[in-house]
Amino acid sequence: MIKVRAIALNTFSSLLRNKIIILFCAGCLCVLLLMLASLLTLRNMRGTQNAEMMQMAVLPLIASMMSIVSGFGSLLAAWSAADAVAGEMRSGTVLAVLARPVRRWEFLLGKFLGVQLMMFVFVLLMLGLNYLLAWIGGASIQTAPWVLIVYPMVRYMLYSALGILLVTVMHPILAFCITLVMMIAAGLVAPGNPETFIPNWLRTGLFYILPSSNLLSESRFLTITRATLRAALWTDHATALIYGVDYALVCFVLAAWIFRSRSLSRD
Amino acid sequence: MAAVIEFQHVTKIYQRMFSEEKLAALSDVSFEMAPGQVCAFLGPNGAGKTTSISMLMGFFFPTSGDIRVFGKPPGDLAAKEQIGFLPENFAFHKFLTAPKLLRFHLQLAGRNPASSGNLIPELLHKVKLNGYENLKIGKYSRGMVQRIGIAQALLCDPKLIVLDEPTSGLDPAGRREVLHLLAQLKADGKTIFLSSHILPEVEQIADHVIIINRGKMVRSGSLRDLLASGGQVEIIADRVPDELRQSAVVETVPQGVRLLVEPARKRETVEALWAAGCDVIAMTPQRNTLEDLFLKEVDQPGGGA
Repeated sequence: MIKVRAIALNTFSSLLRNKIIILFCAGCLCVLLLMLASLLTLRNMRGTQNAEMMQMAVLPLIASMMSIVSGFGSLLAAWSAADAVAGEMRSGTVLAVLARPVRRWEFLLGKFLGVQLMMFVFVLLMLGLNYLLAWIGGASIQTAPWVLIVYPMVRYMLYSALGILLVTVMHPILAFCITLVMMIAAGLVAPGNPETFIPNWLRTGLFYILPSSNLLSESRFLTITRATLRAALWTDHATALIYGVDYALVCFVLAAWIFRSRSLSRD
Repeated sequence: MAAVIEFQHVTKIYQRMFSEEKLAALSDVSFEMAPGQVCAFLGPNGAGKTTSISMLMGFFFPTSGDIRVFGKPPGDLAAKEQIGFLPENFAFHKFLTAPKLLRFHLQLAGRNPASSGNLIPELLHKVKLNGYENLKIGKYSRGMVQRIGIAQALLCDPKLIVLDEPTSGLDPAGRREVLHLLAQLKADGKTIFLSSHILPEVEQIADHVIIINRGKMVRSGSLRDLLASGGQVEIIADRVPDELRQSAVVETVPQGVRLLVEPARKRETVEALWAAGCDVIAMTPQRNTLEDLFLKEVDQPGGGA
C-alpha cells in the first residue's frame, strides 16, 4: 500500500496546485459570494418587515446555494480525476512512475484516492458552508452530519471513477463534457421529474444506465426546518450508498482493464 | 549466463484507429544483452529507438515477437524492481524538491524513505545536486533536471540501467561527468542499455553496439569487432606508380602521397611501391570510429529499409 499511498498524496498535492481547479473554485466562490450578498440582504429585511415572507425566501435561497456547491463538486470530482490521469500522460511523468514496480491499477487507484482526499476536504468545507448559511439565514440544519459527508463523498467517488474511465480512452476535456452531459441527462430522466421531450423507452434506458445523481444527493435529506424533516430508514441509506459505490467500482474496474493494455507515452 | 534483455523477432506496427494506414516502427528486431555489458542502442531520429525502449519497459506492446527482461515479460514487477530507467526528456513533478522526488520514487519502489539512511543525500552528491535541496525542480535548468533524472534511475541500486539520451541537455562538463558516472557503474558490474546521439562519448564506454535504422536492425556486435572490421591501412609514400592509382584511394599530402588500402592488400601494395622504386614513409592502420560506422550504415541507400 505504500506505493498507492505515495501516488495518492502526490496527486493530492498536485491537484491543490492545479490552475484549472483553482480557477474553477474561484469562479464558484464568486457565485457563492454574490448569492451570499442577496442572502444577507434578505436577512436584514426579515428583521424589519414581514418575517414569515422573508423566511420563505431565505430557505429556498440557502437550498439552491447548497445544491449549486454540491453539484459543482460532482463536476470538480470528474474533472480532477480525468486531469490527474491525463496530466501525468501529458507531462510524461507517468513513464518515470510506471518504470517503478507499480502495477497500472495501483497507479489508477492512487490517482483515484488522491482525488477522494481532495474531495473530502471539499466536503468538509461544504459542510461548514451549509452550517454557516443556515446560521446566516436564521435556520438550523436538522439532518445528521454523516449524511452531509457520506452522500456527497459517494457521489464524488462515482463521478471521479467515471472521469478516470473516460480519460483512459479520450481527451480529458471530452471526458469532462461527456460527464457533464451524463449528469444533465441523469437529472432529466430521474423519476419524479416532469415529462420531457425524451421518449419513454429512452428515458427508462437512460435511467438504468446513467448514474443517478438524485438518488445520491444529500439534498434529499437536507432539510432546514424541523417541520419538513424527512426521516429515512437505514436500509434506504444502505441501498442508495451501495448503488453509488457499486457504480464507482464498475467504472474503476473498467478503467483499470482498459488502462492495462494502453500504450503509454508522452502525449 | 542468462541474457538480461532478449528481443526475439520483435515487430511493432502503429495503426490509427479507423484507418488502414500502418506504420512499421520496428520490424523483426532480435538481439540479446548479457549481464555486465554496456550496450549502445543507436539510430537516427525516428529509427525506432524510443519505441524499443518503451516496449522494453512495458509501456508499449509489440505487435509480434517476444521481449524478455531478466527472463520475464516487460512490465513484470520482479523485473522492474531491478531496472533503473531514465526516459528521454525526463519529466518530473515540478512542485517537488529533489529530496522529495527521490523519496517519492523510493516509496514507489516499495521502500520506506525513513529507513533509507544517507541514500538520498549521497545520490544528490553523486549527481552534483547537493546544495539545491530546497529548490523546486520546476526552477531547475535542463542539465539539473537530467541529473535528477539520473539520480532517480540509480535510486534502488538497479542491476539494469536503461538510459534514453542520458547526456541530452547537458553541457560538455556535465556530459563528461555523466560518462564518468557510467564508467563507474560499468566498473561496478551494472548492465547499461543506453541510446545516445553523441557517438564519440558512447564509444568511450560501450562494449556492445546495436544500430537500427527505419525500424530494422542494421548492425549489431561488440564495439571492438565492429570498429576493427572494415578499417583501412594508410600508407604514405614519396610517390605512387600509375598502376596503383586505380586500385587505392590516393591523395596528395605534404609528406608525399597518401594511399588508403584494405588491410588484406597492404603487403601487396607496399611491395608494389618498393618494386616501383618508391619510398614508403609510413604505414598506419586506420581505426574506424563509431561515428564512421554509424554514418556508413545509416547513409546507405535504402539502409535498413
